[in-house]
Amino acid sequence: MRILFILLLVLQFNFVKADEINYLLKIPNLETYNLKSKNGLKYLTTKKNFQIGAKNNISCEKLDKENLDNRYLLVKKNLDLYNKEFLNKINLRFIVLCQNLFISEINTAGIPDYKKRTLILDLMFNEKYFERVIHHEVFHLIQDSFPKIFNEEVWSNFNKKKFKYAECSTCTDKLGLDIYNNTNGFLTEYSKTIPSEDMAEVYSFIVTDKENIDQIKKIDPIIFNKVEFINSKIKEINNF
Amino acid sequence: MIKKIQASTGEKILLIFLILLAIISFLFYFTIKNKCLFVEKVDLQKINFPNTENIVVMNVECGKVIIELLPNLSPNSVERFKFFISNGYYDGSAFYRVIKDTLIQAGDLEYGNIENIDYYRVGSGKSNLGLINSEINNEFEFKAGSIGLVRDDVFNTEDSEFFILLKDVPLFKGEYTPIGKVIYGLDALAKIKSSDKTEYVLRPDYLSDFKLLKQYN
Repeated sequence: MRILFILLLVLQFNFVKADEINYLLKIPNLETYNLKSKNGLKYLTTKKNFQIGAKNNISCEKLDKENLDNRYLLVKKNLDLYNKEFLNKINLRFIVLCQNLFISEINTAGIPDYKKRTLILDLMFNEKYFERVIHHEVFHLIQDSFPKIFNEEVWSNFNKKKFKYAECSTCTDKLGLDIYNNTNGFLTEYSKTIPSEDMAEVYSFIVTDKENIDQIKKIDPIIFNKVEFINSKIKEINNF
Repeated sequence: MIKKIQASTGEKILLIFLILLAIISFLFYFTIKNKCLFVEKVDLQKINFPNTENIVVMNVECGKVIIELLPNLSPNSVERFKFFISNGYYDGSAFYRVIKDTLIQAGDLEYGNIENIDYYRVGSGKSNLGLINSEINNEFEFKAGSIGLVRDDVFNTEDSEFFILLKDVPLFKGEYTPIGKVIYGLDALAKIKSSDKTEYVLRPDYLSDFKLLKQYN
């Protein structure tokens, strides 16, 4: 009898309660937070923790209201830098706000999904990097939207000939996000993982720390080329 | 000699109460079973339609549903939708996906007909006419009664499936192709069978026929 009861309880809680947000985005347990931003972004948050993806390898948790309200302002301030037209070009419409975002047991600041026009953000990600990583994740959508423009082979040729990126961003322990004192072609340790992460790092510093990047450009010719590359390609997209 | 025992007043009241309870239970059993009892019936003869060209009529278990199509918003999608309707393609189409009090979905022409519903494949069927482009309208408000074409994760993947909203869903604005709105009979759609556990319904309700208004005349 007790086993039957437990079985019934398990069955009861294993069913995902369907709603219109899950219907649209295939992410359960969400609720709307703000649907009326000027640039058309629709902000959603978690009612409960959720798991999605192949073998439920992506998970994120519900935020408490105070953290949500405070960090949302930061997110909005940064995403308001993008206008509606640009966001349409890069296929970004939905922002999912949660905490403790993990993909395959690795904590991550954000997960962009070009196909579903969604960016999931961990609002409690390290405060030191939080604003910058928002733009880092936005860049991934930019690149996914214009893969030919942000050609990784061209990008890789900016580096010294001996340098080789890793096979993937998670198959290395180079995860540092602090800016180097001596850049030597790379702004952060994470830049060294793969070309797309390197581009995303450069882009995020251009947006959030322009003055510093302008100084680094003067003494690091590789960074100069990388910054010029990103700037020219972003202009190209704007004129697209 | 058997002594006759008189029932006390209390026992008589108890007996009457039990009989009344039995009658009420009996009535309620049949009332509740008839889910359409309180659904207002729509009489086509009593309605004056200003423009009959874009009026279609769906028959479901609880009555008729009158829909106005919106070709000014989505001309290609409405043209395709009318083609399916006028040729009887939707007749017997199951409401196999239902989010209680929120949305009902039907129109899988390949795997979603009630005569031969395929529970493993329903939702993935095609019409054989190919996919059509989304006709998104960024001003259209998806309110209760709004009808949209179903698509995959990406745009421009619409075919024959459609959904009808049972409540306002502002989130859908700019996300789906709007093709029409229910003008009468939304309460009949609210009675479509749903499941508390999942949005996919076993032994679903279905629309018995779907016609252009002019096909009734």
